Amino acid sequence: MSRYILRRAAFGFLVTWLVFTTVFFLMNGLGDPAAAVLGANAQESQIRQFKEQKGLDRPLHEQYLSYLGLIPCVRRDSPAWSDDPGARKHCGILQGDLGESYIHHDSVTRVIGHRLPRTLLLGVMAMVVELVFGIGAGIFAGLRPGTTGDRAVMFGTYLGTSLPTYVTGPLALLVFAYLLGWFPVGGYGATPLEHIQHGILPALVLGIGGTAVYARVMRGEVIESMRQEYVRTARAKGVPEGRVILAHGIRNSLLPAVTMIGLSLPGLVSGAIITEKIFAWPGLGALTIEAINALDAPMVLAVTLLFAVMVQIGNLLADVGVALMDPRIQY
Amino acid sequence: MDPRVISRFRRNRGALAGAALVSFVLLLGLVGPWIAPHPPAKQFRTELLEQGLPVGPLEREGHLLGGDQLGRDQLSRLLHGARLSISIALLATAIAVFIGVSVGLVSGYLGGFVDGALMRLVDIVLSLPFLLIAIVAQKSLDASGVLFISTLLGVLSWTSLARITRAKTMQARALEYVEAARALGFRGPRILFRHVLPNVAGPAFAIGTLMVANMILAESALSFLGFGLQPPAASWGSMLSESQTLMEWQPTLTLFPALLIVITVFGFNLLGEGLRDVFDARL
Repeated sequence: MSRYILRRAAFGFLVTWLVFTTVFFLMNGLGDPAAAVLGANAQESQIRQFKEQKGLDRPLHEQYLSYLGLIPCVRRDSPAWSDDPGARKHCGILQGDLGESYIHHDSVTRVIGHRLPRTLLLGVMAMVVELVFGIGAGIFAGLRPGTTGDRAVMFGTYLGTSLPTYVTGPLALLVFAYLLGWFPVGGYGATPLEHIQHGILPALVLGIGGTAVYARVMRGEVIESMRQEYVRTARAKGVPEGRVILAHGIRNSLLPAVTMIGLSLPGLVSGAIITEKIFAWPGLGALTIEAINALDAPMVLAVTLLFAVMVQIGNLLADVGVALMDPRIQY
Repeated sequence: MDPRVISRFRRNRGALAGAALVSFVLLLGLVGPWIAPHPPAKQFRTELLEQGLPVGPLEREGHLLGGDQLGRDQLSRLLHGARLSISIALLATAIAVFIGVSVGLVSGYLGGFVDGALMRLVDIVLSLPFLLIAIVAQKSLDASGVLFISTLLGVLSWTSLARITRAKTMQARALEYVEAARALGFRGPRILFRHVLPNVAGPAFAIGTLMVANMILAESALSFLGFGLQPPAASWGSMLSESQTLMEWQPTLTLFPALLIVITVFGFNLLGEGLRDVFDARL
């Protein structure tokens, strides 16, 4: 088992590195960040100075290796820089240094550290929505397959997977914020209570797709486990029906849903890119779009790295979760 | 085609409903630009804008659905957008199907080292942060034509097809008539195309149909974020994105493209799920 985890983790590192490298070289084709950051009226000398400060005057492979932390720093504005080439320290990913944002004039890690909790809050709230409604609807439908109630739930799940957030989001805003006034029209609020209030509508919107998926999986699992011999045995022994459903039917159906949590993590974060735009939620998604449009390479790279790592952790958790919970699976 | 498959399809009401929706949408994409009353980018500033705000549906003769924020005819844009959105989705799916089926066939048929390497490749592509990579690639390669967006989406989403094709190929390889073909001395390509591919085609078609739905969603998501087709091209996603600021004044600008996206995606999903049951294309 631990060997399996190690192998998976090594593969995760490889993929993360591949993603990072791809984006690094793609970013370079994005155009000149100096012109984008300093504006159209920047002087030649300003642009040159900016490039020197950020190490953009160095060959690409040096920038890349320096960014990874394999060779000494090429950025003059970094604390690791020294005019004496022998005294230069490293300032890359391996040293935990992701550089400074071109537009926020602050360390990339600090800006992300500021934004990440907001996106996580949205993600957690959406996950609660998915689990509560998805599992609830799935159990409801799974216990009465073929009935009108079941059909209604199934129809709902088809609709749910066909409704993208950029459709439901604006509609939800229109109906529940503008017309009914139940929720704020967007933004993030100032106090923790306000954050939650502002988060309800985006979380509901973000959770629709996942709710449908959970409901479908749960329904299938419940139907499957209610057909099992041990359910028949329990009934034959005279166990009350409520307990049969809870202890035998549902309990064994929850496993796949639990493992899906790990897999849904990256989806929630990337789904947040769109949801955050709709609801003007100042999280990681909004930061990403802003950084790409402003050619803020260090920020884009850092966000990419974060996304890639999250995907890998999600996959790993899902695989390990399956292995831990299902005794039939061995590695 | 196997008559059992056809009868199973006929009895699947979801698939039939999906097929009806899909036919409608495909027809729209085919004839849309021909029946559109106006060019999609033509502005009617005096007719369709009132104090800078667009007029709504049924308010002006000749402009059934009113105008958008730039005074362009909404109905014409929706109809032209239909062809753009649908062609991107179909083209992207074709690319993904081609890559996915090829990889799956080779992987499943050859097995061994090739199989291992290709499946690792699948794992890698599968764990790419799709939206982020697509956005960065679109922005940095600075291309936004139909062909580019389709290729981008196709190249990022062939993995599920490769997996299912591989599984079906491995099943087919063990079939007696495939073994017989091998015993007769036929070579790999002939066996793959004549004997294995027909077994794979049905499931691939089902997954491909589901994929069209996802492609519509992905293209609209890119356009919505401003990284898809660039103005003045009208795709449903970009129309949705452009209309967001006008939500309070003219919700129909959001409503119609949204509705078309949902109908399209819903149709392809229903049909795809139905076909998947019919062809037994589950992993």
